[in-house]
Amino acid sequence: MKNLNYLAFACLSLISFLGYAQPVEEDYYPIVTIPAPEGVLLEVGGLTTLPDGRIGLSTRRGDVWVIENPYMINGEVPRFTLFASGLHESLGLAYYQNAFYSAQRGELTKLVDRSGDGRADVYETIFSWPLSGHYHEYSFGPKMDNEGNMYVTANVAFGDEEWWRGESRVKWRGWTMKISPDGEMTPWATGMRSPCGIGMIDGELFYDDNQGDWIGSGAIWHVKQGSFTGHPAGLRWADEANSPIEVNQETFYNTFDERRIRKDGRAVKPANIQDEENPLTMVKAKETFPEITLPAVWLPHAILGVSNSEILKDETGGDFGPFAGQVFVGDQGQSKIMRVVLEEVNGEFQGVAFDFRENFQSGVLRMTFGKDGSLFVGETNRGWGSAGPENSGFERVVWSGKVPMEMKTIKAMPDGFEIEFTKPVDMASAMNPDSYQGQSFTYKYHSVYGSPTIENEPLEIRGVKVSDDGLKVRLVVDNLRQYFIHEINTPGIKSAEGDLPVLHPRGYYTLNNIPEGAKLNDSELSKRPKKTAQAKSIKAPKPQPMRAQNEVLSYEQVMPLLQKNTCTACHKVNDKVVGPPFAEIAKRRYSNKRIVELIYSPEPQNWPNYATPMAPMPQVPKEEAEKIAAWINSLRSGD
Amino acid sequence: MRKMIGLCVLSIWSLAVAAQGGGTKTLTFQTMEGFQKQAGNWQVVGEVEMNPNVDVHHQEPVETKKKKKKNQPEPPKAVTTEPGTGILVNLPTNDKKSNLLTTWEHGDIELDVEVMLPKGSNSGLYLQGRYEVQLYDSWGVKNPAFSDIGGIYRNWESAPEKSYMGKAPLTNAAKAPGLWQHLVISFRAPKFDAQGNKIANARIVKASLNGVTIHENLEIPLPTGGPVQNNEVAMGPILIQGDHGAVAFRNFKYKLMHDLDAELTDVNYEVFHGDYESYELAEKATNADISGKQDLLNYDIAERDNGFVIKYTGTLKLAETTDYTFRGSFGGQAWLKVDGEEVGRGWRGLSGTKKLSAGDHKVEIMYFKTRSWVDPYFGLFLSSSNGHEKALHAMSSHPVNVSSVAPIFIKPQGNQPRLLRAFLDFEGDRSRRITHSIGVGIPSGINYVYDLASGNLACVWKGDFVNATPMWHDRGDGSFRPLGMIQYLYEGSSVTGSVKSKGYTLDTKTGLPTFIYEVDGKEVQDKVYPDADDTKVIREVSLGEVTGSFEVAEAASIYQMDNGMYVIGDKDYYIEILSGQTPQIVKDGSKSKLMLPIDANPVKYSIIW
Repeated sequence: MKNLNYLAFACLSLISFLGYAQPVEEDYYPIVTIPAPEGVLLEVGGLTTLPDGRIGLSTRRGDVWVIENPYMINGEVPRFTLFASGLHESLGLAYYQNAFYSAQRGELTKLVDRSGDGRADVYETIFSWPLSGHYHEYSFGPKMDNEGNMYVTANVAFGDEEWWRGESRVKWRGWTMKISPDGEMTPWATGMRSPCGIGMIDGELFYDDNQGDWIGSGAIWHVKQGSFTGHPAGLRWADEANSPIEVNQETFYNTFDERRIRKDGRAVKPANIQDEENPLTMVKAKETFPEITLPAVWLPHAILGVSNSEILKDETGGDFGPFAGQVFVGDQGQSKIMRVVLEEVNGEFQGVAFDFRENFQSGVLRMTFGKDGSLFVGETNRGWGSAGPENSGFERVVWSGKVPMEMKTIKAMPDGFEIEFTKPVDMASAMNPDSYQGQSFTYKYHSVYGSPTIENEPLEIRGVKVSDDGLKVRLVVDNLRQYFIHEINTPGIKSAEGDLPVLHPRGYYTLNNIPEGAKLNDSELSKRPKKTAQAKSIKAPKPQPMRAQNEVLSYEQVMPLLQKNTCTACHKVNDKVVGPPFAEIAKRRYSNKRIVELIYSPEPQNWPNYATPMAPMPQVPKEEAEKIAAWINSLRSGD
Repeated sequence: MRKMIGLCVLSIWSLAVAAQGGGTKTLTFQTMEGFQKQAGNWQVVGEVEMNPNVDVHHQEPVETKKKKKKNQPEPPKAVTTEPGTGILVNLPTNDKKSNLLTTWEHGDIELDVEVMLPKGSNSGLYLQGRYEVQLYDSWGVKNPAFSDIGGIYRNWESAPEKSYMGKAPLTNAAKAPGLWQHLVISFRAPKFDAQGNKIANARIVKASLNGVTIHENLEIPLPTGGPVQNNEVAMGPILIQGDHGAVAFRNFKYKLMHDLDAELTDVNYEVFHGDYESYELAEKATNADISGKQDLLNYDIAERDNGFVIKYTGTLKLAETTDYTFRGSFGGQAWLKVDGEEVGRGWRGLSGTKKLSAGDHKVEIMYFKTRSWVDPYFGLFLSSSNGHEKALHAMSSHPVNVSSVAPIFIKPQGNQPRLLRAFLDFEGDRSRRITHSIGVGIPSGINYVYDLASGNLACVWKGDFVNATPMWHDRGDGSFRPLGMIQYLYEGSSVTGSVKSKGYTLDTKTGLPTFIYEVDGKEVQDKVYPDADDTKVIREVSLGEVTGSFEVAEAASIYQMDNGMYVIGDKDYYIEILSGQTPQIVKDGSKSKLMLPIDANPVKYSIIW
């Protein structure tokens, strides 16, 4: 049996070696570009589905389009009607009781077509909030609850001199506002920095933020009245009479150093402290300020996005494939969509996040499900750059009807995790604990832009138990750590039928609570095969000659390192994506040593034409950083 | 030699001219000095007022005293003046209608004047007496031609090689008759070789009217119609047309310019490779990697993009003793010394002014660069109070860098107005940014911005609508810029009380908005729309239950003219009250406010600019 397994494994290796096509996302979820009339620029800020199946779409340019037959039935292209125009950079759109609602920079507006000609003739201010006029004061929403109350979120501004520091110059920047249909505003929660993505999931409000000052990495928060999600700028208004927040801003800054440093009369941007002893995390900060709301699900920066956006629950009942009831989260910078599964443990939401679909033509900002269960995706990168090469886009993801081999979900267990697959697994591979890997880590909570992953520790997988139907695997982990992000990787798993690898083999579970309950007995677990037996059956690879210290890796050799260390999330060899191309870095003539330094402590000011600053990456092993540096410099053609 | 003539002429009429810093002179119009003799239609006065409703060529004749009945008012006059000084006015009659010529002549000139025209009037300002910039009451003209204000007038030559068809202003930036208009022209005279052959056409580097650019880098290849002499010359007087109609001038400022006679020669350089992080370290650099001589400054001898110090020395040869301004522009850091004394230093730029005598001066420059993300370039420019800026470097050392971003201009489509919300920087001042404002562009060319937060009209303008590039290019800053000739009104609310915007509705036929807001909970409806001729803006406000008074305008000075209209500011614009309330001019500190008591009727007035 063992030998047979080995044979199967060898065959699989051979297939991949010979270059047989591996399944790709496109096979399951093809992307269709929706043809818009020439000259219509769809820098999408808001997207919503109307009860009659039409799609409402608002743009940064302030237009609201209504799109009839976006499904392109009858072999016809969609019809675009301009419903409204002139809005101030609309970044959200909802439809409720025969009217559109949209957040402009400075107000929540209701758009009504009284005359019935398909064009708005009433632009009613539901609630207006002050602005300082800073460019970053974007406003997002609304999302409706069941009573028609609307939630709107408000970006912070940045300092004039301290351009890296989020500021709430006027009420209610950095807040979530709850606004009733007749315009009564309740300050709902604060701690938001750049809350582009909001979503209602089963009547509960969720929002996501992306990496920045005080925000170590992108994440999704469950926002309750009085939540403080981490960025302290909005605390400025915590003392207002109608504020539900108790945390006093001055007390907060007296407790946690803002690191306002001045040198030679100028403010200095705080940098990550390398090898910091006992760094502050949100969990530790929460001990002092219990109102701090921890992320329900972290979306590790550069792995699951760099600038998270729309949060949307799949309510298609299966029309969109096997993930009904789960949550999709967009990302602007990486132009992709992630998949999140939430569960409630000890009364709090937590859960797991996976990659789902990449390669959109621009930054994914908004999503809505059409009446046919396809997913409409509204895109823009509005000056921030994105993996998708266009500045805007309106696309649609349609399920092909094929079920991909995926981890459908991962649930927390008292002694580890339970992975559920979309298809039965090959028993032998699934029963081998070596088919799974993982690590746990967390992030710092500091005024520095972003955080490296810290306190990384490999998961100690004690054993596994595969369900009889092959759909579920219990993973028993010896070193579970509460509040940490647990990466679970399934490199050795394949489907029972077709020998398919897991399409997205990594999941990231945020373990805020470890559920109570029965643990598995050791006797129930399948353990590692005896090493000795395996060592005999697999011919030991011939030891490679020691690589000369200065030998430079080839592209094929360096690529796994770049991927593993998430470099490729932002950098390509020759093309500008989120960060500069490696070839451009090579032109700077940094020494290898300097490049390694810059990986650990980036100096984004060196790249003024790139909008998203690079986060420090001290977690990259030195040896690998040196190899990457040498490879980058090899891209410079003869001096 | 040319310069000498200019200087002699200047000394003769220096009394009439107030010299200012930087070589600018102002005709203060204390007397008619500085101008050649004329028939008497040109005179110096203390005040001028022009009735915008009376056509200067069709006013009712003033009845003689004999015929005049008692108590019968005199018919309104197009132009009235008060004695005094400071304003030059032309009031031509059938017998007295001279053109006005300066006693002085000019070649290259920077001109900055204020001009006022009565309704229907026509004049022109001829540069060098040969190239006419038209002055005309073009208020309300939709598609301006060469014959409208600011246009370069045509000539009437029939031979094709002598014919010039003129050039229309880019925009009609005309203000209403009787308002001061601001004309700025940067002019280069035609250039001639030693044999007197023309080698460069006369050229307008830039011209603006009321703050709006009307010509940009435009050559005028031939004299326009009615020159003092039908030839082209290096120097000529300014001629102001006096025989077509009344016109007034004030604040007549000009600067006579010439090419700078300066040269940087004997440029020696030393290049040191390495990362010299500070001025001190760079100064200490020794053992040059490269050294040599150049004809013109050029950084390319560094032979690399980063990590170098260049030390230049050279001799600056100057023809004139005057104040010189140096302007450096470079990628990296640099200092400049002249005759051993530092003139300036900086990161990516330096500037400094120094008085230098005619003759040779020692120049030392140190340029160093350690920041790889800046492109290497080095430029050094020199100008003097009357000398054009001149590059002392090779062209390739400092490439011209113009943004190639395609601008985003927004226009109304078809017959519907275009509404667009954006931030508006009041009077272009970022610190006075209006954050809840909406622009309305009407196809007939009337535009305005309404401040929704305070329930007030912020500004009005004619011409094209807005440039949205600042908002929509890249991340943008959320603001747009009005295009065309803009009149800012005043900031804040028109009524006292707490204003809360309720948005606006659109008329289904015209597409025009009605703004709705509450004042202490009481609803107000505010409409702003063009008059039937598309020349004025009418504001009509239904105040419902709101009481108190309504502020119509605010300025340093407000007064009522005989025709009932109110003049706002320094003859900036007019207000005409169309509703029945009796206005009051209220002093509030240094400001005057035009107030209307609120009654049951809507407040209605027009803004004329």
